[in-house]
Amino acid sequence: MEAAWQEGLFFVFATVITVSAIGVVTARNVIHAALFLVATLIGAACIYILMFAEFVAWAQVLVYVGAIVVLMLFGLMLTRAPIGKYGEYDNDQKGLAAIVAAAVFGVTAWVLIDSFEGVELPTDRVAATTSKDVGEAIFSSYVLPFELVSVLLLAALVGAVVIARRDERVTSRTIDAARREKAREEDV
Amino acid sequence: MNLPPIDWHAIAPELVLTAAACLVLVVDLFLPDEAKWIAMPLSAAGLFGTLAAVVSLLGAERVTLAGSFEVNDFALLFKALFCVIGLIILALSLDYFRDGRYHQGEFYFLLLCALLGGVVMASARDLISIFIAIETISIPGIVMAALRKGDVRSNEGSLKFFLFSVLSSALMLYGMSLIYGVTGSTNVDEINQVLPQQHEGLVAVSVFFVVIGFAFKVSAVPFHFWAPDTYEGSPPPVAAFLASASKIGGFVGLLVLMFRAFPAVAEQWRPAFAVLAALTMTVGNLIALRQQHIIRLLAYSGVAQSGYMLVGFALIGANADTNSQAFKATVIYIVIYGLMDLGAFAAAISFARRGGTYFISDYSGLWNRSPALAGLMAAFLLSLAGVPPLAGAWAKLFVFLASIEAQVYWLAVVMGVNAVIAAWYYLAVVKRMFFDVPEVSEPIETPYLLRAAMGLAVLALVASFVYPRLVTDLADRSVLESRGADVELSSP
Repeated sequence: MEAAWQEGLFFVFATVITVSAIGVVTARNVIHAALFLVATLIGAACIYILMFAEFVAWAQVLVYVGAIVVLMLFGLMLTRAPIGKYGEYDNDQKGLAAIVAAAVFGVTAWVLIDSFEGVELPTDRVAATTSKDVGEAIFSSYVLPFELVSVLLLAALVGAVVIARRDERVTSRTIDAARREKAREEDV
Repeated sequence: MNLPPIDWHAIAPELVLTAAACLVLVVDLFLPDEAKWIAMPLSAAGLFGTLAAVVSLLGAERVTLAGSFEVNDFALLFKALFCVIGLIILALSLDYFRDGRYHQGEFYFLLLCALLGGVVMASARDLISIFIAIETISIPGIVMAALRKGDVRSNEGSLKFFLFSVLSSALMLYGMSLIYGVTGSTNVDEINQVLPQQHEGLVAVSVFFVVIGFAFKVSAVPFHFWAPDTYEGSPPPVAAFLASASKIGGFVGLLVLMFRAFPAVAEQWRPAFAVLAALTMTVGNLIALRQQHIIRLLAYSGVAQSGYMLVGFALIGANADTNSQAFKATVIYIVIYGLMDLGAFAAAISFARRGGTYFISDYSGLWNRSPALAGLMAAFLLSLAGVPPLAGAWAKLFVFLASIEAQVYWLAVVMGVNAVIAAWYYLAVVKRMFFDVPEVSEPIETPYLLRAAMGLAVLALVASFVYPRLVTDLADRSVLESRGADVELSSP
């Protein structure tokens, strides 16, 4: 009985994810695409909950929906990026990309169905992964990659600041050089 | 909750390097503009400290963190190599970044972070650690490639690198997640035990995704498009980093995965590597023939060199002897390649810094202008071409012998043909330096720091040719075998 409603809900969420994922790539408006992305990510979080992976589900909602997509929307607003229709950004390789995507989908779908056909998820085994287990795994056997991620994020943060920062020094020097050039021309 | 004990000595190199990186970042904050270069000796000190920690572990066989982190000769060899590469790149950077006033402190911090990724990669025996390590090498690399912010080629190169890197990481991660899905483990040894019993198609697809991800990182054909543009656009010391440390990091990950996690299913992926190796060698060399710009020449020749390194993976099979020979040949090739390629970059950078350019036409008659620089450049290029008496010859010979041993003759033939093509363009540059008449006759002074670094590299290359046991011993000792369950957990 339990398995039946689980399966039913899975199809509901899977449909939501698929439809909104298609929406992300086909939406003509960047804001709409970002909102479709929210629906996709929430759908994935719901599937995690169906599999009793509560920690992953909440991390997904907090990090992806709460932080990343919201940041993307802020980024679009603050950088005055074109947020209307963006049809002109399409390029002529769209067809090729669609073929590659379809091929990858076909192969992975076939392989996954072929190898997991008839396998049923035992409900009690999956129920065993609680937040406590995840926490223990992160801070025992996976503590090194976990700490390395901190260094990686720090490097990414510093890098982002370096790239985004307006170089006062360079710009003022180039302006100086331009001024001198102009002055020299006037002298001549 | 009981935490397994952590072997602190085993992770000492990583700890020292992390501390050094953080120190550089903080100290840089308090340095006045004209003293920012002090971050460089500080970083060098950090790398020497890391090297000391590596030396203190020599001969150790330690496994910690539930088998996901392993210290043995293989790991120590590559940790040391990353430190040495880091030191040479620091020597190249000082002059460049001090004059250019690009974000010096941040550059040194990012470089140390990227090297930390490499140092962890050498010990990582678990899919998650391997993935995080390769990302820690790439992401600071992307930022460093963009440091010439005023130049549109730098922006373009960095953006290309970023997009390719993200795509390849996504593919790799998807493949890894499938592997975890079928085996229920992220540990390379456990994966190797369980993988052969799983569904063939699924295993093949997931390994294929992982291989494609790494193929991007090591710029194998047809996933090499980013490399020449990124190398050309980046600050040249960063290009040297991408061509050496970044590529070697990818290869170390590939070695661990292919020789340790997936050898049991080698039948399925070996042909893919054979094709990849042959394509990479041939296409890289053919395009390199037409290059006019030394960095692009080195980029395409680097692609071709990746091809030779990929040959070893195409030889993995059921026979343990051929496997270990292929493994050793690949390790030797990677170490020697790291030194000679970095040397060639160093020579090109010193020439360009002292009045020259990056165009090969300007190398005419370099012998008359600076015999030292011309000699060093020639030594590195000849070594890359595989001409004795330089170590590059051994590198090629070992891979060649390994493929004969494994009875994959066609790959040996492809290698031979490619060695001839490659010799053509390397020798063309050498000929230009020694026999052509210079347009300008001004002598060139190379900075002492660079000359010392390059001199040491040449010395190492000649020494390992004259006394090959220097490299073969290293490779003999660096076995990458799982040592069974009895050493799963070790306490300090």
